[in-house]
Amino acid sequence: MYDNPNLERKVAQQDTKISARNVQVFYGDTHAIKDVNIEIPSRTVTAFIGPSGCGKSTFLRCLNRMNDTIDICRVEGDIDLDGENIYDKRVDPVQLRAKVGMVFQKPNPFPKSIYDNIAYGPRIHGLAKNKADLDEIVEKALRRGAIWNEVKDRLHAPGTGLSGGQQQRLCIARAVATEPEVLLMDEPCSALDPIATSQVEELIDELRDQYSVVIVTHSMQQAARVSQKTAFFHLGNLVEYGDTGQIFTNPQDSRTESYITGRIG
Amino acid sequence: MTDSQHIVSSYDRDLEGVQALIIKMGGLVETAILDCAKALELRDEELAERVRKGDKAIDALMEQINEETAFVIARRAPAASDLRVVLSVMKMSNNLERIGDYAKNIAKRAGVLLQMTPIDGASGAVRRMAREVELMLKDALDAYIQRDPELAQVVSNRDKEVDQMYNALFREFLTFMMEDPRNITACMHLHFIAKNIERMGDHVTALAEQVIYVSTGKMPEEDRPKADSTPYEIHGDPMAGKD
Repeated sequence: MYDNPNLERKVAQQDTKISARNVQVFYGDTHAIKDVNIEIPSRTVTAFIGPSGCGKSTFLRCLNRMNDTIDICRVEGDIDLDGENIYDKRVDPVQLRAKVGMVFQKPNPFPKSIYDNIAYGPRIHGLAKNKADLDEIVEKALRRGAIWNEVKDRLHAPGTGLSGGQQQRLCIARAVATEPEVLLMDEPCSALDPIATSQVEELIDELRDQYSVVIVTHSMQQAARVSQKTAFFHLGNLVEYGDTGQIFTNPQDSRTESYITGRIG
Repeated sequence: MTDSQHIVSSYDRDLEGVQALIIKMGGLVETAILDCAKALELRDEELAERVRKGDKAIDALMEQINEETAFVIARRAPAASDLRVVLSVMKMSNNLERIGDYAKNIAKRAGVLLQMTPIDGASGAVRRMAREVELMLKDALDAYIQRDPELAQVVSNRDKEVDQMYNALFREFLTFMMEDPRNITACMHLHFIAKNIERMGDHVTALAEQVIYVSTGKMPEEDRPKADSTPYEIHGDPMAGKD
């Protein structure tokens, strides 16, 4: 039944955005990611699910080299973004992270004004020629973050004064301000109430027109709601990767089945 | 389906509860099939009345199953094999409810047929046909309990035999009616009865297909054998011999 193309919301194009081959991650002696191969399509929401400690966040952080900041962390294998290896020595991690944005579990606005939270990235990457340009970028990002109407009259108030849901949408707006191609989200809704969660999910669905979104979530329902592809991680292995409709109606691996149905595997 | 249990044990109880209702409903429907045919053959008005009244209990079970599945969907958001259980339970209860309606209709016609001269051998043949459908239903429910898609496939294939029995009866009734127009009323009722049983067989087949879906996640291929040839039959063609 999941073969029906009308059931799966249309995936605009299926070219690969990120391709990972034989990825291994070690934290000291701990083998956290074991030989993961995955192709993440462009303009698609891909959900990573799995129990705590299964490596999904670790793998997500590999996609924009956030693990570089951890001394004992070692990454092996190839991860290509648009066919170019992001672990190549010539790649500047800061430039990479402008292309591959990230939103974290807890909203973490800078202790600055709402305006400066958004403007920070475009400024350091020199995306704006003048103040008018920057104003435009900030407005566009806040609109895309679905928070413009709520903050347009107090752009110079501190970002930390917003509610949790607003802060998270501010962080998403901040992440999209640098026009990334990929947006990584590590449990973006776990600190939000259902209404703010719906707003973020609506936003994710809109962002899919332009970006690849990869989201780590502990909520099965959220993965089922927002994603077109789902990857299940378990004990550092990528157990199953497929269309979300298939994973949630007829998973092929018994470990996936046990996890998403809430059984003791 | 995985054999292991949910971490939340009340989830298991919810799912088991609604599946127990299906089995209970199946038991009532099996009895209704056998009893309506028995009432017809033995010209037992009391038994026919019991079948007609018994349909209420079957309908009530369907209502209860509908409510409980809605409850499971709302509270548990079932996925994967659990989702398939909930979906199949909803469809199977519909199939069983329809079969119950057919049995009730047969019991009504049995009450009318009591007042007419019996047609030789017809009610015995109807009863054999009903018994075959009841056995199919029993096996389909067993296949459900045991999550046995192979047995379900066997049941699905057996519907062909019911279709053939119906074809034979269809021709027989036509012959009786052509022989003597006074047989027409009784034969029309008997024909509807046979048709009802043939439709029961189709519902049992649909139910067996749900068993395959719930155990494998896939629906069986559509082209199962069908042997109801009566839509194409021509008997006593008024045009025959006219030229």
